[in-house]
Amino acid sequence: MVAVRADTEFPDARAAYAAAPGAATVDLSVRIGSLTLHTPVMPASGCFGPELGALIPVAELGAAVTKTVFGSARGGNPVHRLTEIPAGMVNSVGIPSRGPVGYLATLHPRYAALDVPTIISVGGHRPSEYAPVVAALGENGAAFELNVSCPNLDRNGTDIGSDPAAIREVVAAVRLVTDKPIIVKLPVLVASIADCARAAEEAGADAVCVANSIPAMPLDALTRRPILGNVIGGLSGPSIKPIVLRLVWLASRAVQIPVIACGGVETADDALDYFSVGASAVQVGTASFARPFAAVEVARGLQQRCRDAEVGTIRELLELDAAL
Amino acid sequence: MRATAAAAARREAAARARAFAEADARALDGLVSVRPRQAVPRPQPVWDDAEMLVHEPAGERYRRLVLASSSIAHTALAGQFLMITVPPHAGDTILLPRPMAIHRRRPATADQPGTVELIYGVVGRGTRALAAVPVGGTLQVTGPLGRGFEFETGTRSALLIGRGVGICGVMGAAEDAQAAGIRTTMVLSGQRPEQLLGRADCAELGVRVIAVTDDDGSSDLVTLSAGLRAEFDGATPERTPPDVVMVCGAGVLARLAAELGAHWGVPVQASLEAHMACGLGYCHGCAAPVRTDASVEGPLVCADGPVFDARIPVD
Repeated sequence: MVAVRADTEFPDARAAYAAAPGAATVDLSVRIGSLTLHTPVMPASGCFGPELGALIPVAELGAAVTKTVFGSARGGNPVHRLTEIPAGMVNSVGIPSRGPVGYLATLHPRYAALDVPTIISVGGHRPSEYAPVVAALGENGAAFELNVSCPNLDRNGTDIGSDPAAIREVVAAVRLVTDKPIIVKLPVLVASIADCARAAEEAGADAVCVANSIPAMPLDALTRRPILGNVIGGLSGPSIKPIVLRLVWLASRAVQIPVIACGGVETADDALDYFSVGASAVQVGTASFARPFAAVEVARGLQQRCRDAEVGTIRELLELDAAL
Repeated sequence: MRATAAAAARREAAARARAFAEADARALDGLVSVRPRQAVPRPQPVWDDAEMLVHEPAGERYRRLVLASSSIAHTALAGQFLMITVPPHAGDTILLPRPMAIHRRRPATADQPGTVELIYGVVGRGTRALAAVPVGGTLQVTGPLGRGFEFETGTRSALLIGRGVGICGVMGAAEDAQAAGIRTTMVLSGQRPEQLLGRADCAELGVRVIAVTDDDGSSDLVTLSAGLRAEFDGATPERTPPDVVMVCGAGVLARLAAELGAHWGVPVQASLEAHMACGLGYCHGCAAPVRTDASVEGPLVCADGPVFDARIPVD
């Protein structure tokens, strides 16, 4: 097991932080299919790694979420891969992957050593590529998150996740090869998020995650050339929260399965905003770079807010707020 | 015609920026590779709330930061870096932490906490916000990070080359060299004499300084290269080639160091910089300029570097 361990001779801020979680007196657990998370807070794919196991009390999170695993090994995009503009962070990392075999050999043991369930993110370049990856991952991991924000090579590069028929095809195929919970991570740029969420639900998904970074193109202010080597990247951070709030609201009204919100969550209040429009859980991404413990802070903040209001559930907390 | 002059100045600045970026990319193409596995284990990175003890101008162009963190000061290796989380400033929130080289490490004493010293230039939103943090304030830092400069056993002499704020990247190596009794010369390069960093540090560490600037033309790559060959191509012990060359500051300078290394038949270690988000290796934001097969993820500046081997490619 990986644990935050203090150097007794030269203490740093980690140990004091890990030792002061406050009493987890409120049951905030949430079910994603057959998987129960003790808190509705987890990292966003790509914004977490087992490296954090020694820096933050990972056990206070509901789950760990891996970087997306593709069917075959692939490299990432050319430099520069990320930048910060006033509107947020833009990344075009390109999701390098070692494939399921490489993932299981090198990364998975480090995730398994963490004290939380591992949700393995899975990607594909066409709908048929997802199920073989899930099958190859077998009994590893507690759930699968299908990253359908990938260009579909069968359909001239349109995002798989923007096409309800393609979503259905992906989920139905994955459902046949695993009994573990399936989460479908939907993209922002879709004609109808409700149709996309319904397609996932009808094909057997246990939850949808709404949403992902937003395609964007940052230019250098001086040279007016694209900053990113890939020209286009994904915008993330607090500025995308209102955009994703709308999508979460629409998706939550369309499906019965849990909606996991992902977009600009930095604080417990951001999480409560998402819960108030129908989300059951949140993912924390960009905020973790500046504050590695950001997701832990959100989880602790939710406990604190419920304790302060003397309520036992987030639903009760939101009802109190709504009655103002 | 003020507008015309302003437009011309803007065009010139844009052209300079493009030319610099292109020259740097060309210089680094095929130049660096990941160093063989190191003998010294890397320290476990931590995050710490570090009190800012000093925050003042350093020369004409930069600012000096001294942070109290006994843990990081105790464990950091030469050439490692920190991720600095920049607090919000005047309503502006900085999302990503900024990677900065550890310039000096001063371990804790009986009555003083250990400190690390960093130097940075105010170049954009992030560093402007950082410049507003007062002495006595707290900065959240993560580190020490990355793979730094390493002296092989038996090294007797070293040539260190730093330019601009890159001088901070190699100063840790000067500290190690002094502790190990390695005879060291350091090239301090910058635009103007008033901007040169590291003179006082080199004096304290007993490192011989060769100062070069754009102002008098001495930092010109051809001039500098010829000067260093003349300096170290001699027969006396002081003038024999160094056992190792370590460099930080620009791609073109790393290439110059690699050429000198090839000429003298000695290894060259070059520290690179990159835009980063996590600094730990999981975000894969800082791909190193190393040629790899398209189906394979190449090395990362944060986890496999920032210090790499630099060799002139054979092709």
